[in-house]
Amino acid sequence: MQLFVNIVVLASIYALIACGYVLIYRVSRVLNLAHGELMMLGAYAVLATASLFSGHPVMALVAAVVLSLVVGVLVYVFLMRKMTGEMVLAAILTTVALGILIRGIVVLVWSAQQQYPAQALGLPNPSLVLPGGGHISMWSAVLVGTNVFVYTALLGFLRFGRWGMRMRAAGQNPLLAAQRGINLHGVYALAWSLSTLTGALAGILMALDSGLTATMPVIGLKAFPAALVGGLDSLVGALVGALIVAAAEVLLIYYVDPLLSDVVPFLVLVAMLIVRPWGLFGTREELDRV
Amino acid sequence: MLKRILLGAISAAALALPALAQDAYVVGLTGALTGPPSSTYAPAVDALRIYIDGVNARGGVNGKKITLLLEDDGAQPSKAAANAKKLITQDKAVLLLNASLSSTYAPVIAESKAAGVPLLFASSVCPQSVYPPADPLQFCTTGFAANYDSQATLDFVKASAKGPVKIGFSAMAIPLSRGEIDYAEELSKKMGMTPVDKEVIPPPTADYTPFATKLKDAGPTWVYSWAPWVTQVRTLEALRKLGWQDDYIAWGHLETESELVRLKDGKFYTVNSNSLFQEGLPIQKEIEDAAKKAGSKYPAATMAEGWIAGMVIEAALKGAGWPADAAKLRTAMENLKVDTKGLRGGPIEWTKNNHFRTKLYYRVYKWDGSKIARVQDWKSYDVK
Amino acid sequence: MFRPLPRASGYFRTDYADEIALLQTRGERMSLAVFALVLVAVPFIASPFQLDLACQVLLASIGALSLMLLTGYAGQISLGHAGLIAAGAFTTGILAREINAPFWVTLPASALTGVVLGLIFGLPSLRLRGLYLAVSTLALHFIVIYLGGEYETKRGFSTGIMVEKPKIAGVALNDGRIWYFILLVFAAASLLICINLLRSRSGRAWRAIHAKETVAEALGISVAGYKLLAFVISSSMTCVAGSLFAYYRGFVSIEAFDLFLSIQYVAMIIIGGMGSLLGALLGAMFVTLFPYAIEALLKLLPNVQNLAGDIFAVNYASFGVVMILFLVLEPLGLVGIWRRIQNYFLLWPFKQKPLAGAGK
Repeated sequence: MQLFVNIVVLASIYALIACGYVLIYRVSRVLNLAHGELMMLGAYAVLATASLFSGHPVMALVAAVVLSLVVGVLVYVFLMRKMTGEMVLAAILTTVALGILIRGIVVLVWSAQQQYPAQALGLPNPSLVLPGGGHISMWSAVLVGTNVFVYTALLGFLRFGRWGMRMRAAGQNPLLAAQRGINLHGVYALAWSLSTLTGALAGILMALDSGLTATMPVIGLKAFPAALVGGLDSLVGALVGALIVAAAEVLLIYYVDPLLSDVVPFLVLVAMLIVRPWGLFGTREELDRV
Repeated sequence: MLKRILLGAISAAALALPALAQDAYVVGLTGALTGPPSSTYAPAVDALRIYIDGVNARGGVNGKKITLLLEDDGAQPSKAAANAKKLITQDKAVLLLNASLSSTYAPVIAESKAAGVPLLFASSVCPQSVYPPADPLQFCTTGFAANYDSQATLDFVKASAKGPVKIGFSAMAIPLSRGEIDYAEELSKKMGMTPVDKEVIPPPTADYTPFATKLKDAGPTWVYSWAPWVTQVRTLEALRKLGWQDDYIAWGHLETESELVRLKDGKFYTVNSNSLFQEGLPIQKEIEDAAKKAGSKYPAATMAEGWIAGMVIEAALKGAGWPADAAKLRTAMENLKVDTKGLRGGPIEWTKNNHFRTKLYYRVYKWDGSKIARVQDWKSYDVK
Repeated sequence: MFRPLPRASGYFRTDYADEIALLQTRGERMSLAVFALVLVAVPFIASPFQLDLACQVLLASIGALSLMLLTGYAGQISLGHAGLIAAGAFTTGILAREINAPFWVTLPASALTGVVLGLIFGLPSLRLRGLYLAVSTLALHFIVIYLGGEYETKRGFSTGIMVEKPKIAGVALNDGRIWYFILLVFAAASLLICINLLRSRSGRAWRAIHAKETVAEALGISVAGYKLLAFVISSSMTCVAGSLFAYYRGFVSIEAFDLFLSIQYVAMIIIGGMGSLLGALLGAMFVTLFPYAIEALLKLLPNVQNLAGDIFAVNYASFGVVMILFLVLEPLGLVGIWRRIQNYFLLWPFKQKPLAGAGK
């Protein structure tokens, strides 16, 4: 039972992070390697808002989430907009540079020390006992819930929402979409802000559960195989991919060797790339724009 | 050509550095001031800087100031190598300091050997080469040390446990921590305990619960962790979350004090070689005042390690006289005794053969319901 | 892309030897000779620290050239470059440590490791392209690092493997100047190899594959063969660079070859300018020296020592800023700037380049 809970929690973490990669890739075919850093920025934003709205934890959390939404738009408007039409590799490298910048800023503002946003907000983190005898911490439970909510909302939005449809159209054929009067920049900015939002949610909830250091971006990178196994342009794929990677990791830790957990996501990834490069649910595509 | 122009610009920039006053002791440090592991090193380096500033304000050593040059290596070995080379060849440092991850040791040692400049590990874990018989060039002031720490920890476990001990281990997947935990596992067998499980956890881990689940299912009565603080404390938190209620013992890093207060866990023990600040020693007050005056962003409680390094450097330079060169400094460092004024259990004493400590002292602390309490006072171990 | 203007003012070739000569005009020969003289003079005027920087640039150049060959010309993205450098360094480190092998054994052995790894890294390229290929090479990077880490832990070299400096006739190569010349020779050889590969059959095949694989296939080029060839050559050069790194720095450890190193190499070829060997050299120089330049500039500020911790965070952040500025403002890279400067003087007193075809 505990193993099952562990898989669900880890899968939720990976899935919530992975959907950020998917949103941007699906719409603009750019791989955002600064996602981990943006996620960390969201979590650190809580520290800032916590001192601003001391005594109102909910306000602080909402403010941090809104802030991350704004950051996403700003990143697009001031940076990624300039990279549309450039080499894919150059766009990816820009996100890497952005990541370096954010890491520098974070150390500059908050120092490299371990921080506890939950403590700053005055929120507890009790352990809950589930009916089958499994244990889960409150914030992990909230994370699982948030994940379910985010995916339902996103899938619904992309399927039925007006802007969601525009996002899908822009992803399928940007030229045609632009000719039909879809505001591509608006769509891209929306994708970036949504992606930063979900990333920040993941970052904030993880930080509330277990504290925050400048190592968080690495976890963002670890969620990447999940997105790729499922297919970089499919939300359902990200969910399934996260589940597969998380299950492989948890079961290997328990039954084989904990050391393998670091390499295994990438082994799964290589296996996937050999059999079905575009992922379980991804669309097959020609990708040779170097 | 462009290449030349650029290189010229760089060298011009390098030369334009304020010409180092040659009537000062130059001490160079390469440390992990940025990057993921910097939380362990940056506070210590900041403390060292504040201490040296204090020495200079008091008029310096032997009437000369100390110039402390800080270089950041971000825990990257290649950058550390370049830093060490620069500090030795360009800045003519008489003493090289390392405050970084163990992965930077190899290149820094290589540079120090090539130039014959003594190397002091300050706040980075002591390598085996400073234990007797010591490498002539390497010295260490850091509180934590491979093998002895586990010996002290397991002694404490054995003494305080009633009945047979089933012990679990947790390490971070970096060579140093793994090596120490492997050593502790062997040692625990020799001491009559039963090792039940050993978890080696990769540094970036989203969730520690899967590792803790396995550890808990092995049914240990004690768990011992010797790793960077994150791994130690997150393993504990994950175990507690799963409802494991037995004793947990870990190494007391810089963060110990604030973390014991935060966790408020009556069965979490830390083994320390530095006194915690709640002891309220005069020297600790002095550190607090200095930190406040300098406007450091790190709490004073994390500064003992850097302060001790500063005291040792001051003493070593004093012994070396003026002008100091590498050979004189080495001789001074080989006959050194520094009173730690209660920050440690005893003085730091170096001999020709021992660049570590002749005697090690360990204290054990835990949270006793209302405050941090000493569970075991200084216990000493001879270093042979 | 950006074609350089012809530097000779007419077509003077009178026999086939002229056609394949690397240097066409006396001016080119002269400037090369001057350049070579400057390069030889560097170690005698530079401080030891500057010499160390020059050596780092030369080491990075070898890696950047080989990555440029693979990515800039053959069009195969690789994020596993650090893994390959690690493989070369570890081959050298392990052989030197375990069987005390001298450098004339370890260097070829590293190159051989490169050939084998090139085949392995190259296999996914037969099926994958672009981003997916990049990710598969990334995965291989992690596997190489994992194996290296296991070796370090199992053998008890927890702080890395120390590598003795190589000895020639019993004399250890300790001096920085000697190292500068060794690395200079290796870098020059790599450059020459790249130039010649690119202007022969293989180079044309790679460019064709880069432009359009289907067309290349139709032209009778063995796409699979040439892709693998690109990987094999590039990775064996990279592994040699890794081996040189091990000897120059005197140590090998997995932490020295993290993902950031791969990113730095990719940054070198993009900042330098894609599809240009000169770009690879300029990029290697820029990315290697830039952090030191910022550091030196920041230290000019008064009262820096009191800001200690902050200054390095600023340094780190400004590296990100400059990289962003470069990518946004100068997509052609350093080589684009270089060509503009060159053309400015070539065209002087005119400002505009003649329209394509108008001059011929």
